[in-house]
Amino acid sequence: MNTKDKYKFLGPTVLISAVLVAFPFVYMLYTSVQNRVAFQPYAGFAGIGNYRSLVQSSEFTRSLITTAAFVIGSVLLSLLIGLALALILHEHVRKRGLFLALLTIPAIVPPAAAGFAWKFLLHRDVGVLGGYLLPKLGLEKAILGDSHWALGSIIVADIWCQTPLMLLILLAGLQALPIEVFEAARIDGASYWQRLQRITLPLLKPVLAVAVIIRFIFAFTSFDVIFTMTRGGPGIATQTLPFLGWKTGFMYYDFGQASALAVIMLVITVVLSTVLVRMVRT
Amino acid sequence: MTTSKRWRTISLGFLSLYLLFSLVPILWMLLSSFKTHYQTLLLPPQLIFKPIATAYLNVFLGGMGKVFLNSLEVAFIDISLALLLSIPAAYSLARFKSKATENIGFWLLSLRMAPAFGVVIPIYILMQHFRLLDTIFAVNAAHLLVNIPFAVWLLKSYFEDIPVEIEESALVDGATRFQALVHILIPMSMPMVATVTILTFIFSWNELFFAFVLTSSKGMTVPVLVASLAGSMTFNWPLLCAISVCSMIPAFILAFIVQRHIVRGLTLGAVK
Repeated sequence: MNTKDKYKFLGPTVLISAVLVAFPFVYMLYTSVQNRVAFQPYAGFAGIGNYRSLVQSSEFTRSLITTAAFVIGSVLLSLLIGLALALILHEHVRKRGLFLALLTIPAIVPPAAAGFAWKFLLHRDVGVLGGYLLPKLGLEKAILGDSHWALGSIIVADIWCQTPLMLLILLAGLQALPIEVFEAARIDGASYWQRLQRITLPLLKPVLAVAVIIRFIFAFTSFDVIFTMTRGGPGIATQTLPFLGWKTGFMYYDFGQASALAVIMLVITVVLSTVLVRMVRT
Repeated sequence: MTTSKRWRTISLGFLSLYLLFSLVPILWMLLSSFKTHYQTLLLPPQLIFKPIATAYLNVFLGGMGKVFLNSLEVAFIDISLALLLSIPAAYSLARFKSKATENIGFWLLSLRMAPAFGVVIPIYILMQHFRLLDTIFAVNAAHLLVNIPFAVWLLKSYFEDIPVEIEESALVDGATRFQALVHILIPMSMPMVATVTILTFIFSWNELFFAFVLTSSKGMTVPVLVASLAGSMTFNWPLLCAISVCSMIPAFILAFIVQRHIVRGLTLGAVK
């Protein structure tokens, strides 16, 4: 292989990846230790000041708890539903292609439009769910105006958007499993549940881990649906960390503190993903 | 046999219920977009009514055509630049293997782990400096930051699956690397190039956060319009439904064209 060629092609690549990836990361880290408020003169090095005031604020703690509830609810439910759908489509159904195509539709709907659709359905006065069906079932409440129900609603909308992704990953994982093992188990008289518990799920573990990591990252950084449906409200009941980050950075224009929050979130993501990968390996 | 039959019924029931859950929000918007404003306020809702297309006319006569044009412009610039930059990069990563290039492949995807509001701050500061805020260029810069690494990642794994021997025989016959790339590898990779094109389009078209932060009026894209109208206090439900429906159409059409390949893209290449 010609070395001149190698540098001709690799050079720009390295440059691109350096600029594209390194620049935002480095600048984010740099900003997180600055007193930097947009449209105001530079106010100097802040050290860990941004981190300290962020972690000490009650809004941060509250948002962290909200985020944890949102992430756990959304990831767990969409994982379970996605797994169930994948198992059903893998085993049972004729016309799998059609079902799959229809079930994938939410994944390509703009999340802003999805958020609006759910807001419309759940609206207290005009929504077919929130104004008609749920009151008929005895739930006389403004769903998006109640802090617990609002959090539940954004979880439902997020599940709606993200479950197709789970389904696609898990179904592909199931279809890549060696078929011989299952036939052997069937001949030996293992029931469906035994096969699921002893063979399918253990073999699927690496794929499940990938699915959970991707899903976790998406839920942890989710903004669109929350912004469209509740704007973090009522009060700050559905204010997750990305929403707090947006508010800090682009309503108060405190870039230093917003960057600090981004760095903290990045660290959480990296730590949790690493832990998950380690857990699967052992 | 009876238990397996019962499970079959249960699983089909679950599948149908979930399908209903998936489709109802979209179908409801579609239905409501053809109602009058008064009809959308009625509960119990009217299921049978005389459809009118006023809302759709208002979308395009009411000055919102510009927003759709912005979105299209952003998407097309994004696609062109993403392909132009990512194809050579993916090629070099796939063909000139070393420890360093292996790591670059992963490093490229790592930006996806960072929350968007952190990534957008450097871009915002840059764009402010160059007075490019509220233009589609600012939005493009932000989108490319996500799309190029993603495109490189997908194309790289596709190029790796194409045997080196095919290019090598061209190189022996006197073709340059560049010619081998353009005349052999790219034509052979058309399915993935098409997929990357469409996924770039869908990302760019659907993306809310960057566009929302970096634009305010002139450079506004469709999701920003949807989100800001959905957050206002006075609702024109049929109009909002019509805008949302219009915002879904392009991605739908494109996704059905490359349905099979799109799975790989939607799952960030986790699935081949």
